[in-house]
Amino acid sequence: MNWVNFIWALSIWASLSLAVLHFAVWLQQTKHLAYLSFSVFAASVAAIAFCEWNTMLARTPEQYGRLMWWVHFPMFSGAVSLVCFVRLYFNAGRPWLGYTACGLRLLDLVMNFFAVPNLNYETITGLRHVTIFRGETISIAEGVVNPWIKVSELSWLFLLLFVADASITRWRRGDPNERRRAAFVGGAIIFFILMGAGYSGLIEAGLIRLPYLTSLAFLAIVVAMGYELSLDVVRAARLARQLRASEDASHESEARFRTLADTTPVMVWMSGTDMLCTFFNKTWLEFTGRTIEQELGNGWSEGIHGQDLKRTLEMYTSSFNARQSFTMEYRLRRADGEYRWILDTGVPRHIPGGEFAGYIGSAIDITPHKQAEERLRSVIEAAPNAMIMVSPEGKIELINAEVESIFGYSRQELVGQSIEMLVPDHVRSEHPNHRGGYFTHPQARAMGAGRELFGRQKDGGEVPVEIGLSPLQTPAGLFVLASIVDITERRKTELELARQRNELAHLSRVTLLSELSVSIAHELNQPLTAILTNAQTVQLLLSKEGADRGELPEILCEIVDESKRAGEVIRRLRVLLKKGEINRAPLDMNEVVDSVLKLIRSDLVNQHIAIDVQLTPDLPLVDGDEVQLQQVLLNLIVNACDAMAEVKAIERRLLVQTEMAGGREVRVSISDQGRGISPEELERIFEPFFTTKKVGTGLGLAVCRTIISAHGGELRAVNNPHRGATFLFTLPATAQGTQ
Amino acid sequence: MSSWAATVFVVDDDLSIRRSLTHLFGATGLNVAVFASAQEFLERYNPSASGCLVLDLAMPGLNGLELQEMLAARGSRLPIIFLTGHGDLPSGLKALKSGAADFLTKPVDATDLIDAVRGAIEKDRIARQVNAEVAEIRQRFATLTPREHEVLCHVISGKLNKQIAAQLGTVEKTIKVHRARVMVKIKAGSLAELIRLAERAGIQPS
Repeated sequence: MNWVNFIWALSIWASLSLAVLHFAVWLQQTKHLAYLSFSVFAASVAAIAFCEWNTMLARTPEQYGRLMWWVHFPMFSGAVSLVCFVRLYFNAGRPWLGYTACGLRLLDLVMNFFAVPNLNYETITGLRHVTIFRGETISIAEGVVNPWIKVSELSWLFLLLFVADASITRWRRGDPNERRRAAFVGGAIIFFILMGAGYSGLIEAGLIRLPYLTSLAFLAIVVAMGYELSLDVVRAARLARQLRASEDASHESEARFRTLADTTPVMVWMSGTDMLCTFFNKTWLEFTGRTIEQELGNGWSEGIHGQDLKRTLEMYTSSFNARQSFTMEYRLRRADGEYRWILDTGVPRHIPGGEFAGYIGSAIDITPHKQAEERLRSVIEAAPNAMIMVSPEGKIELINAEVESIFGYSRQELVGQSIEMLVPDHVRSEHPNHRGGYFTHPQARAMGAGRELFGRQKDGGEVPVEIGLSPLQTPAGLFVLASIVDITERRKTELELARQRNELAHLSRVTLLSELSVSIAHELNQPLTAILTNAQTVQLLLSKEGADRGELPEILCEIVDESKRAGEVIRRLRVLLKKGEINRAPLDMNEVVDSVLKLIRSDLVNQHIAIDVQLTPDLPLVDGDEVQLQQVLLNLIVNACDAMAEVKAIERRLLVQTEMAGGREVRVSISDQGRGISPEELERIFEPFFTTKKVGTGLGLAVCRTIISAHGGELRAVNNPHRGATFLFTLPATAQGTQ
Repeated sequence: MSSWAATVFVVDDDLSIRRSLTHLFGATGLNVAVFASAQEFLERYNPSASGCLVLDLAMPGLNGLELQEMLAARGSRLPIIFLTGHGDLPSGLKALKSGAADFLTKPVDATDLIDAVRGAIEKDRIARQVNAEVAEIRQRFATLTPREHEVLCHVISGKLNKQIAAQLGTVEKTIKVHRARVMVKIKAGSLAELIRLAERAGIQPS
């Protein structure tokens, strides 16, 4: 057996069988041109091998030259089919590289056609018989190499570049399977072409004297390509088997799906990868009253209300392209011609392998909800207060025009934003917690638990507000409806009222003090008398020779003390007469009682009124304005004295008491031994301008009650069991407790 | 009792007033006794003590006017100087009508007060002196027998011994003897002196 014959015959046979085999495969799947390309390539390799084989057995230089001339034809078809294969199989590679390779190869073919004996040699001078493969003798041409053979080599160069480029591109796409394929097939092509071309180059440069072995290099490429293609065939066959199995299953599941889809009250649709709708269930068709044929593709959009169409299609298209779920609302014409609001939700669907297969969607008629929402919207809009509907996440869902006017934002600027943008900066961070708390225990109530609330306006200003909250259960979930009232005006009125109250209290105080002027004069007179007497005593002692001056320091001390006492009376008086701001501070009511009694003491003496003071020690402090509470006490004591004007002097007794009441209150009571208060008077004594005195404004008790109320306390009057009346007031104790 | 032993009694509910007055009267060389209330004065007061009372008009409990009344009721002739912070005319008039020595308004000038106090003490001293003489004269009259007293009453009415004898149903000589004895007992040098003494002793002529 001749080794040369064996190897080449075998390679021809192998190439041809692969060519035939893949041609047959191509015939089955004419779409897959890669198979055809491969088949052509394999056939070309067989032809090349055949020519090479025969050159080795050539007897004459003419015969040799002729065979080499022929070999350019399969070279051409091989190169072209290789380019086609790589392009088809890899779906990559810069086309111009491929075209250039093919073009050069065509040029080579044309030039070869006119070359004698061929493009490889200008002349073949003779044949040399070489012995290789353990004594096999083959022929090798000897002659002058044709320089134009460079065209062929250039063609190979471009082919290499093309394959390398395609392989690299393929590699970069990243799929491990693709990478392996690119490395294997691309690598094999590049490697063996380099080898074949290098070998041919060496022969043509006359460096080695061996026959052309191009076909063997090509055979290796064929084998590599064939191996990959067969793997594909095997894989395809496996997939086909799986597909057949799953088809049966999917037929059943599809039947099940359709039954389900047709019986659900929800309208269901499906679309393919091309955005066109491929399915509508019975519910949909019954709703629109149209046939499936009318609805398929883009037919369904014909039923959409003109005003909603553009928006709806844009939403559908953009979501589809982004492969994102969408929810949209639009009006769809019902079978009876009425447009109904539809809530349509679409989600991308995927076949089991994970490949995108289109969308599936469901739609429901939300017209009743929409109408309810519309009603809510109009109710909120018509409300006299500012109304804001807020989601549990704090998103502003709905506002009315009043909100715009209070906060200075437009509707567009607010809806969809966080409610916290309307909360003042200093409390903003706490607000989400309060909001969370509210949604945990939703109930209609006022916001802020008695604190003063402010809203933040667009310009950064703060507006005093009152806010009512009520939970609102909607089909879309729980919301809170906040009703906001701008209380700027009310606040102003309150301030004005407070100012007037203050004014009145002052007026009443001045009146009271003028009634007490005699007593006050006496209080001032006493220390002045002592001062004068003492001062004149000092003069006397100093003017008299030999007088005992040992008492001088003591007398001077007394002058100082009495001056201070007089100053204290004046200070107290000035405080009471001052028209000052209300100044709240923790007070000991015992001290207030004491200070008032000091002012009024001589008045009581003049009126022959015995005073009994019962102060409970360690009283809790109260939060109050000292001047105003002194005023109340003075007023009540003066009233009590007046009430006893017609009682026998010996029976005139005034009782002033302080005590704890109900645990957290301080009670001050002033009892007289007068004639008491008649039931008719009892009802009216606290009314302004009601008086039982001959001289009086009738404001004293009204002002007292106002003052005590403003302190969070209560002032009332009761008749004593025996005789006379008691006026008593309570004041809440401060949290600080006793002094 | 000499004027030097006289005491200024101060009744005032205000401690500072009491103290300042103590200093003033002390510096003036007067004895001072202070009381915080009318009741306290009544408890501790010795009616025989001489001097004057400096009294605050407005006080808790018994006031100045009430104390004045009570002292009068007890027959005290202690001169009273009222001190008042109010200077109210009705109270002042009432006080003066009831025999107050003076009525001063607080703040009072020390000179005025001292003058008033001195005046009052002098007045008290004189009153006490007069009272003492009358008592002595009365004592003399008390030594008379009833018959001598009877004769005295007729004598001071300016009757003659004869007229007296006729009225008493006795002789002129007897009357003469009685008359001489009366003159000796009463230590009267003349009829005119006798009549003056009888008048001071408050004996009514018959």
